[in-house]
This record gives sequence, structure tokens and C-alpha cells, in this order.
Amino acid sequence: MKRALFLAALLTVAATASAHHGWNEYDAKQPQQLTGTIEESGYQQPHGFVRLKTADKTWLVVLAPPGRMENRGLAKDMLAVGGKVTVYGYPNRSKPNELRAERITVGDKVTELR
Amino acid sequence: MQEFAAWAAATPLAQLLRDDAWLYPVVEIVHIVGFTLLVGAAAMFDLRLLGFGRSLPVQALARHLLPWSWVGLLLLVPSGLLMFTTQPELLDNDVFLLKLALIAAAGLNALVFHAGPWRAAGGWPHTAPAWARLHAMLSLLLWIAVIACGRLLAYV
Repeated sequence: MKRALFLAALLTVAATASAHHGWNEYDAKQPQQLTGTIEESGYQQPHGFVRLKTADKTWLVVLAPPGRMENRGLAKDMLAVGGKVTVYGYPNRSKPNELRAERITVGDKVTELR
Repeated sequence: MQEFAAWAAATPLAQLLRDDAWLYPVVEIVHIVGFTLLVGAAAMFDLRLLGFGRSLPVQALARHLLPWSWVGLLLLVPSGLLMFTTQPELLDNDVFLLKLALIAAAGLNALVFHAGPWRAAGGWPHTAPAWARLHAMLSLLLWIAVIACGRLLAYV
């Protein structure tokens, strides 16, 4: 039993040590709100996306798996090219044009993505 | 490698995986079943070498577990490749590359173990020699790290 506990402790330490620091690519301390026009959209696995043209640049906005978006009422046609949407989310630390969206607003419909 | 990824991502199968509501999750599930078998079998064997379940004859245990670990691998590799085709940009992802390197290291560790200390297993007493236990410990750590990388891919 003692051996089992020791081993379990060791493995837990190893697993959490590797997960401990700097793995999360998206910076939750710098949330951003972007409004723009959809240039391209993908309602696809493993997660949907839109290319969003804002005043200063075009962002790649990572959304949620299509099944989840559909369940929450964000249908495919609501992400049609040319549409105006607002997203709130976290920028990628290493890719300055990428943002992971927490929520998206299309018209007056707000959809939580996490 | 980049060319292969681009080609694979453009295949109708990759497109189907991206568009279908159920196919991708099903492939994910197959991948998980695959690693419960492969890593489960490897972990049970490693724990035996580390001194747990010493009443079980180590060679008989290996004869039972090894074929199942191959079944696991047979589920893992195709499902992993299929998921990869939907996101060829993974080749630029450090966690993905680390995961591939760790898989290679785990495979090499198993290979060296089977070509080395395992050949003398017939003459082992109830405890495996230190050299074999080192391989077992390494195997456990490497496979856990592989799973950690796989899981973290969803967050980086």
C-alpha cells in the first residue's frame, strides 16, 4: 500500500509538473473585444472559426465545435461571409492575429462558446 | 512532411471529418479506447516489473498483455492520423511535436527493453532486475507524458 501511494504521488507530480506552466497559448489576462466583418467562416470539426476583418487587421477567431454552436442556437448561416459580428475572447500569445472566442454576438443573439 | 499534411488535409476524407457532426467525435473515441488498451496494458506490465502483483508469472502476464497493446496501437494510429488531417497546422504546434517525440521515445524504450533485459526474463526471481525496473518506470512516465500532451493539445 505504501508503495502504491508513493508511486501514485510520483506520477501525479510528474504529470502536473509537465502541465504546470506556460502551456496555455491564450492569454486570459488580456481579453479583447473585436467587431468586424466575416471574410471567411468554417463551421467545422474540431472547432469552427471566422476570419474577422476589423478596423486594423484581419483576425483568425477560433470558435467552438459545430455541435455545441448548433445546440446553443448559433446556426451555420449566422456565420455567413459578409456578416457583422462581435467576439470577446483571448489573444494567442505567439500568433498576434489569433483569438480564442469566449462568446460571439450576432445581431442581438449572444452565444457562449465555452 | 508539410506537403504530406497539406495533401492529407485536402482529401475528401479530411473534408468529411471536418463537416460531419459525428465522425470526428467517433474517431476521438476510438483514439481513447486505443490508448486505454495500449497504455493500460503497458502500465499493468510496468507495475508488475516494479514489484506489484509479484505472484503473477511475469512471462505469462506479458503473453496476455502484449497482444492487447498491439490492438490498442492498431486503433490509435489510424484514428490519430485521421484527426491530424483535419488540422495540418498541428505541425507548427510545439506540444504536438513533443507528443510525437515522446511516442518515439516510449517505443524505443519498449524496443530496448525487449531486446535487452527481457530476454533473460525466464531466469528472473520474483523481482525484476534494476535495469528492467528502470525501463518500466521510464515507460510509465513517458506514456503519461504522451497522454498529457494529447490532452493539452486542446488548450494550446
